[in-house]
Amino acid sequence: MKRIIISLSVLGVVLVAAGCNTTESSRNLADPMVPGKVLAQQVCSNCHGIDGNSINPTFPKLAGQQAEYIVSELKEFKSHDRSDPAGYQYMWGISRSLTDKQITELAEYFSSQKNRPDKSDNAKLLAEGEDIFKHGIPGGQTPACATCHGKDGAGGGNGVFPRIAGQHADYIAKQLWVFKNTNQRPDGTLMKVITNGIPKSITPEQIKAVSLYLSTI
Amino acid sequence: MNSYPTQLDCAAVKLFRYCCRRLFGVKPFIIYTLLLTTALLSVNARAVPAFARQTGQNCLACHAGGQFPELTPYGRLFKLTGYTIGKRSIPLAVMGVFGASTVKGAPTTGAGHTANDGTLTFDTGSLFVAGKITDKSGLFAQITYDNYAGDTSASGHVFSDNTDFRYADRIIDTSQDLIYGFDLNNNPGVQDVWNSTPAWGYNVVPISTGFGSAVGPLINGTLASQVAGTGAYLYWDKTVYAEISGYRTGDGVYSFMTQGNGQQIYIKGENPYLRLALTHEWGAQNVMIGYSYFDVEQYTDPTRTLTNHYRDNTVDFQYQYLLDPHTFTAEITRTNETVNYGDAGALPDTVNSLLAKASYTYEAKYGAALSYFNISNSSNNMVGGTLNPMLASASEMAGQAGTEGWTPEIFWLPIQNVRVGLQYTMFDRVNGVASGLGTGTYNGKASGDNAVVFYVWGAFGN
Repeated sequence: MKRIIISLSVLGVVLVAAGCNTTESSRNLADPMVPGKVLAQQVCSNCHGIDGNSINPTFPKLAGQQAEYIVSELKEFKSHDRSDPAGYQYMWGISRSLTDKQITELAEYFSSQKNRPDKSDNAKLLAEGEDIFKHGIPGGQTPACATCHGKDGAGGGNGVFPRIAGQHADYIAKQLWVFKNTNQRPDGTLMKVITNGIPKSITPEQIKAVSLYLSTI
Repeated sequence: MNSYPTQLDCAAVKLFRYCCRRLFGVKPFIIYTLLLTTALLSVNARAVPAFARQTGQNCLACHAGGQFPELTPYGRLFKLTGYTIGKRSIPLAVMGVFGASTVKGAPTTGAGHTANDGTLTFDTGSLFVAGKITDKSGLFAQITYDNYAGDTSASGHVFSDNTDFRYADRIIDTSQDLIYGFDLNNNPGVQDVWNSTPAWGYNVVPISTGFGSAVGPLINGTLASQVAGTGAYLYWDKTVYAEISGYRTGDGVYSFMTQGNGQQIYIKGENPYLRLALTHEWGAQNVMIGYSYFDVEQYTDPTRTLTNHYRDNTVDFQYQYLLDPHTFTAEITRTNETVNYGDAGALPDTVNSLLAKASYTYEAKYGAALSYFNISNSSNNMVGGTLNPMLASASEMAGQAGTEGWTPEIFWLPIQNVRVGLQYTMFDRVNGVASGLGTGTYNGKASGDNAVVFYVWGAFGN
C-alpha cells in the first residue's frame, strides 16, 4: 500500500508539472490559444451536453442551433446586453474572455450536432401547441411561429431566427416569459412585440402548449 | 398561489415564535437579525468567493439552489476536473459564521459566555485559498479561526480545515467521456462531490447541533484535520465513479494540513479508503447511489503499541431536482462500523449511524430542510457498569446506546453568498434515554437537549 501511495504521489507531482500549460484539454477560459471546440467539449458540455443536447432544461439545447445565433448570443452575454437570470447567472462569466475566433468555433461545433427532441404523450396540449406553431393564436393577432422560425422550427435568416424545434419546453416557456414581461433581451424586441405588444397576447396556457409542442419536433 | 394559512404555516409560525423566545426574546432577536443582515447586505453583493470569481458565475451554478456547499451536477464536474474551469484569479475568499444557540434544559454554566446560553457570537471565520493552479490542477484549502473554543473560555485558535489538492484531466468527445484525477486531502470524504458524505452532508452548517453529544462512526469527522490522504479517481461517462485513497497520520511533510488540530491522532501506516458511486441524470433530476469502505488502525495511546481496528461500511444515496424556481434535494447515509480492539480478550463492537436530510429552496432564496439522525452502538465490553478505556470505542466510552432526533430548519439567502437560518433540533433519545435518567435530560426527558440555533453564514471575496 505504501508503495502505491508513494507512486501515486510522484505521478501526481509529475502530472501537475506536465499540465502547467496545455491547450489540448484545457478548461482555461482566458487562454485565446485554446480552440473553441476544446472549450465546447471541456467546459460547455458540462451543462449543454457533449453533443449540444442538454439534459437539464435549465440549459438550452445548442445542437443544430443556427451558428450565427449562437455567436450573437455569446456576444450578448459577453457585453452583458442579455441579462435574463439564466443568462447572467451562468453565461456572463463563462463568455467574458472568449475571443471572436473561439466564439465562432464554439458555434460551429454545436450547430453541427444533431438535435434530439424531447418526448411527450400529452396529445391534447401537443395539438394545441401545433396549432399555435402553424397558425398562430386562433382568433388573435399573434402570428404563427413557423412564419419566421421555419415550417420545421429550425430557424433561419442568417441566425436572426433561432432554431426552436427540439428545444426544452421549460426553456422556451421561460424565454417567452422574459420576452413578454421584461426588457432583459434586447435581441428579442420582435418577440416582445409578438408576445405582449398587441391586444391579444399569448397566455401562459398557450405558452405551455406551444413550448411543449416545440420540444417534441 | 394559495395565500390562506395552512396547518403547516401555523406550525411554522409557532415554531418560529418558540425559537425566538428561546433565543433572546422576540425584540432583541429581530434587532440582531436586522443589524446583521443590513451589515452583510451593505457589502458589495458582487463580492463573491474565489471559485465564483474564477468562473464568473453565480453561486447557484455550482451550489444546489444556492445553498452552499451542496453541489449541482456542474459543481461536481467543476470539482472533479480539479477546480480548473475558468480563468486564474486571486484565489482568496473569506467566510464567517455568526450564531446563537440555546437548549430547552439547563444551559451550560461557566465563567462568561457558554456555547448554549443564547448569546449571539462570532463563531468561526475561514480564509479560503481556492482556485485553479495550472490548466489541470487546483486546490481548495480552508484555514479556520475558531473563535469560540469552548465553554471555559472564548480563546480562539486557528487550524487547517478542509484541504483538497487535485490534478485532473478529462478525455471527452461525442464517443467517450472519462475524467481521471489524483487527490491529496486531510479529511476522509472531503474529496467527495456528493453531499451524503459526512464532510459535506449532514450537519454542514458550522454551528449546527448535529446529533448532540453522540459519537458516530470514525468516518463522521473523527480524522478531519488529522490525516493526509492521497488517492486516484475515475469518473466514466458521468455514470460510474471509483476512487481509491490511502490515509496516514498527518505529520511530517503533511503536517501543514493538520496544523492546530488540538491533539494529533495517530493511525498505523496507510489506511485504505474505497469509494464507488453510480449516477444518473434525467430531465431536471439526478440521482446517486454509492458505497464507501474505510479501514483504519488507530493507535490507542501515545506509546503507539496497540491499535483499535475500525472498518466503516457506508451506503449513501442522493437525489436532486434542480429547475428554477424549485430545488429539492435529499440525502441518506447509512454507516455500519465494526471495531476490533487491540487488547486480547476484548469483544468487537459495532457503531451504526443513519443520517438523512431533505431540503427545498424557492428561487434560491427561501429554504427549508428536515434532517433525521439515529446513532447507536453496542457495548460489548461493559462489565459491571464500567468500561476499560483500552477496550472501548469512543462512542462506547460516551456511554451511549442510541441517540435519535430530528432537525427542522428554515433559511433565507438574501444575497447569493449569505445564508440566515434557524434550526430546532428535537431529541427523541439521548444516549439511549428517551425519558428518565440521562445526560442533559429535562424533567426526565431527552428533550432537555433540544436546541435552537440561529446563524448568519456568509462568504466573501473581492
